[in-house]
Amino acid sequence: MALASKLAQASLNRSFVTLPATATAVRSVFGRSAFYSSHDDGHGHHHESPATPSLSGLKTISRNNNRSFVTAPAGLAHQKRFNHSSSRDTTVIPDFGKYKSNSGDSTNRAFSYFMVGTTGAISFLGAKTTVADFLSNMAASADVLALAKVEVDLTSIPEGRNVTIKWRGKPVFIRHRTADEIDEANTVNIAELRDPQQDAERVQKPEWLVMLGVCTHLGCVPIGEAGDYGGWYCPCHGSHYDISGRIRKGPAPLNLEIPAYAFNEEGDKVVIG
Amino acid sequence: MPVKSSNNTTANRFARAGYNTIVKRNSVFLTTIFVSAFAMEMAFDSISDRIWDNINKGRQWKDIAHKYE
Repeated sequence: MALASKLAQASLNRSFVTLPATATAVRSVFGRSAFYSSHDDGHGHHHESPATPSLSGLKTISRNNNRSFVTAPAGLAHQKRFNHSSSRDTTVIPDFGKYKSNSGDSTNRAFSYFMVGTTGAISFLGAKTTVADFLSNMAASADVLALAKVEVDLTSIPEGRNVTIKWRGKPVFIRHRTADEIDEANTVNIAELRDPQQDAERVQKPEWLVMLGVCTHLGCVPIGEAGDYGGWYCPCHGSHYDISGRIRKGPAPLNLEIPAYAFNEEGDKVVIG
Repeated sequence: MPVKSSNNTTANRFARAGYNTIVKRNSVFLTTIFVSAFAMEMAFDSISDRIWDNINKGRQWKDIAHKYE
């Protein structure tokens, strides 16, 4: 009741000249006070405060404090207050039946979580698409990718012949090997090779040897059907490659590189890249 | 407040089963969200592709390629 006594103090400290003691004001004060005392509705501090504008209280005030009783109810007389609690009983809860969901406990909950989940999924999809679109800017465009592959018709390459084609600015050797050459490539003891590799690891089909025509030493282009091993020979520093493109003699450290390639279904074309 | 008496309807039992299997564990809920996001993307892409192909029927390379190959 600290607030109540503070309010009471404030009203007591008013000057008595604020309102002349008109008959109306006095009547309204009495009306109020009669009203308050007859309806005890829980706003009890009005009664306990010394400023209570009840008849007996006002008399007490004017006697004890030597003040005019009209000072206290000055506000009351001017501001017409409606006691809301009297016109309606607030303890009665209205009937919300019209607005109630008549489904059971679970459907609303499931629906809410379904909406939450759907929102999350769509947001994730949007974020993912945005990131993917930005990243695809950095990828090679379709025309560049189209140039990155080379298709070679194998039917035009007779057995025992080399073909050199250009792929991504580098030469690619394709050799149609004979059965003798395949045997020769398979009989090599790979334990004594500098870069040990089986012939089967270097070809997809034994009759077609596809490899990058760049010497692994310093990048010259080797010459075909030359050298001590019947394969390729690099004229720059004298590296000898055998019929499987493996380094056999000279300064090169590694076998000739094999690019990614694939035969078509009929087996008459190879796509490099 | 939902009405307790309708707790045993088919829709309610279905919703409760869905809640218990998907939403109750957050890990399952999040996994479901991400998986369904990818499923949604695939469905959206294939449906929109089909609509596009339908509108442009006979005008795309794949429709006339058999004449040239």
